[in-house]
Amino acid sequence: MTAGTSKLISRQKPTRLARITQHLKREWQLYLMLLPTVIWLLVFLYKPMYGLQIAFKDYSVFRGVAGSPWIGFEHFHILFENDQFLRALKNTVIMSAYGLLFGFPIPILLALMFNEVLNQFFKKTAQTIVYLPHFISSVIIAGIVITSFSPSAGIVNTILGWFGVDSIYFLTKPEWFRPIFIGTGIWQEAGFQSIVYLAAIAGVSPTLYESAVVDGANRWQMMWKITIPSIMTTIIIMLIIRIGNILEISFEMIILLYQPATYETADVVNTFIYRQGLQGGQYDFAAAAGLFNAVVAFILVMTANTISKRYSRTSLW
Amino acid sequence: MRKLSLLTLAMLGATVATSPAFADGDLKIVDTPLELTIHMHWPRAQGYGVGGTASEIYPVEEAARAMTGISLTDATVGSNTTDSNEAMNLLIAQGDMPDIVGGHLIKQPVNEFGPQGAFVPLNELVAEHAPNIQAFWDSHPEVLASITAFDGNYYYIPYLPDGKYGRAWFIRQDWLDSLGLEQPQNVEELEATLVAFRDNDPNGNGEKDEVPYFARQWEEVNRLLTLWDARSSGSDTYHDFYIQDDKSIAHPYAQDSYRDGIANIARWYAEGLIDAEIFTRGSSSRDYLLSENLGGLTHDWFASTSGYNGKLADKVEGFNFIPFLPPASPSGVRMEEHRRIPVKPDGWAISHTNENLVETIKYFDFWFTEQGRLLSNFGVEGKTWNMIDGQPVFTDAVLNADAAVNSQMYLEGAQIQRGYWQDYRYEWQWTAQAAREGIELYDTEDLLVEQFLGVAFTKEEQAVYDRYWPSMRTYMLERNQAWILGTGDVKADWDDYIKTLNKMGYEKIIDVINSAYTRQYG
Repeated sequence: MTAGTSKLISRQKPTRLARITQHLKREWQLYLMLLPTVIWLLVFLYKPMYGLQIAFKDYSVFRGVAGSPWIGFEHFHILFENDQFLRALKNTVIMSAYGLLFGFPIPILLALMFNEVLNQFFKKTAQTIVYLPHFISSVIIAGIVITSFSPSAGIVNTILGWFGVDSIYFLTKPEWFRPIFIGTGIWQEAGFQSIVYLAAIAGVSPTLYESAVVDGANRWQMMWKITIPSIMTTIIIMLIIRIGNILEISFEMIILLYQPATYETADVVNTFIYRQGLQGGQYDFAAAAGLFNAVVAFILVMTANTISKRYSRTSLW
Repeated sequence: MRKLSLLTLAMLGATVATSPAFADGDLKIVDTPLELTIHMHWPRAQGYGVGGTASEIYPVEEAARAMTGISLTDATVGSNTTDSNEAMNLLIAQGDMPDIVGGHLIKQPVNEFGPQGAFVPLNELVAEHAPNIQAFWDSHPEVLASITAFDGNYYYIPYLPDGKYGRAWFIRQDWLDSLGLEQPQNVEELEATLVAFRDNDPNGNGEKDEVPYFARQWEEVNRLLTLWDARSSGSDTYHDFYIQDDKSIAHPYAQDSYRDGIANIARWYAEGLIDAEIFTRGSSSRDYLLSENLGGLTHDWFASTSGYNGKLADKVEGFNFIPFLPPASPSGVRMEEHRRIPVKPDGWAISHTNENLVETIKYFDFWFTEQGRLLSNFGVEGKTWNMIDGQPVFTDAVLNADAAVNSQMYLEGAQIQRGYWQDYRYEWQWTAQAAREGIELYDTEDLLVEQFLGVAFTKEEQAVYDRYWPSMRTYMLERNQAWILGTGDVKADWDDYIKTLNKMGYEKIIDVINSAYTRQYG
């Protein structure tokens, strides 16, 4: 290497183009591997952005995106005049915040618990059971939820009945919608999400534990002093990603579970868009609502990233 | 077929009044074979061919080719989705349209994009070249009005269902018998009957587990409104606008009669006369509540609901679930609000790229000739049906097959959503006996009300409607469920409710609908 470097120095400084060509020649395999992802991003994420302009247009499918006339912020104006949109926005934020508050720590706890289980058979069985709901389609999950909370035959009301509580028609009560929805989400996804943390825990160097054992640490201390600090980076990255997706609530589940009677707490921006825009074929209006949603999510993820960079020196970029 | 009663034959005879303008040999449209491309997207098949597979030609298509000389080849867009709206948008967005655009839910797009130039207006073409379609319009002007776009032209030939009745009131006659009750004739008697179903253990299992009134769709709880002189909808779509006093359009949920009706429904719900889980039980509730011997009364389709008598004969002893006349309201009106819509938003249209307009419209007209109509309803003669005593009769193989007759027809290429006029004789032949008797019973009284067949808006009217209606509908349904569930009192809330509706643009919506209605129906 030293010989090569001296040769380079002795020659004239290579042009920028030559340097890039040389770099590509040396690293082309890496770029080849990168290529499919770049193409995917361009085709599925960047090209559709062209269509975002319909949020500012009086869009007609027949005239096309380019041929439809501009109308400025009219769709946004109508949007913010609508009380139901503001309610949906509020519900989205509340539901996401609760989802984050209760849904984020549970996969970490699960991973830590799995890590402490010594009986391999029990561990594998338990893991399979908690992963399973992730692979069931939302329609079936919704069916299970509706049946479980049914006032006549549901298991929840049956159990409440043992304690002398009158049966409650949960799915028509606005005050019960959020707990049921968030609980269902946790039940469905917590197991699967714990895989990331289990992988991070597996990456912690065993020497740390060995030296801790020599120093007389118990399992509890090892968890607090070694495992959690070691996977903190993963936890923070996952948290930032979660915050970025905070407004993307699994709205198909809401559509399956909500009723006009529970719109008050259940209607989120995406279900509002679905009813208002897509069912009525108002694509331009729906695009405006979707764009607004995306802008809010962008601000949230930027903020989270900045805070994280400042206080924990971990960040996405 | 011999089972057809005289009354039925007379009824059917009235619907057969097509005008056969051509003699048999004159069905040829072109001398040299002509090939046209078609987009045909509908729930049962996403493509023009057996089960949506383009390479498997429908037997009906083969026969039509031989008769007319015109063959259709598949050019369906969006065959990977079952959502016909989405497929239509894809088709229009990509710009390259086939000669004929057909299938499910095409009315809204053809009326929107037709005036923009995507589809060919059919008024003059039909008047000049399609005598059979024109004859149908001449005898059904209100149907023609209903499919007309805001510019006064029409852009598609619709699928025209036949037969009058859709849903009916069904009751467990065997429960009535075991309790020694008569069929309820008015709303008071109906309430007494429901109370008896709730309290007197008609299923005889010693438990108070009966569900007096139930429905597969929660919206059917609002159908009870018609028992108190209110309305739940003006068409076969739930919560639709209706024709008030034969002259203007209004919404049923903004009327005083609605307030009083909902108060009664809320009372019934609180008293346990209506299924407590009606909002979440969903589409399987009829199956479940009937087969478990729990449900007493519902409002559902004639044909499918009657079918349970056969299905459950072995499972539930004495099971007899039959249609009965709608109970009279306090003002003495018996109303069956639901009926078959005479015209569907499905059918076919000619796209702007079509270069054989006259041949295409003549081809559309072919399906309204007697030959064409038989072909589109029953399939190929000699294969699935035969003409017996001047009546088309399905073969025993078709009637006795495991698959329902309609499912078999879909594979033949009959009863698919082209622009055609359905013939009720097709359905009658495989309708259960209980349903046939029910239809005859319903025919003895004047139960049906005029239907609102929809309006076509101008761009400005559409903008007003789109801006206010979806939110108002949401608000109406929220209050509707809340009142029925008892989380609000309709009488106390009523003034605020009306005030909110007005604030949300009720007057504006009613204005645009009525101006469109007047323009369209005159």
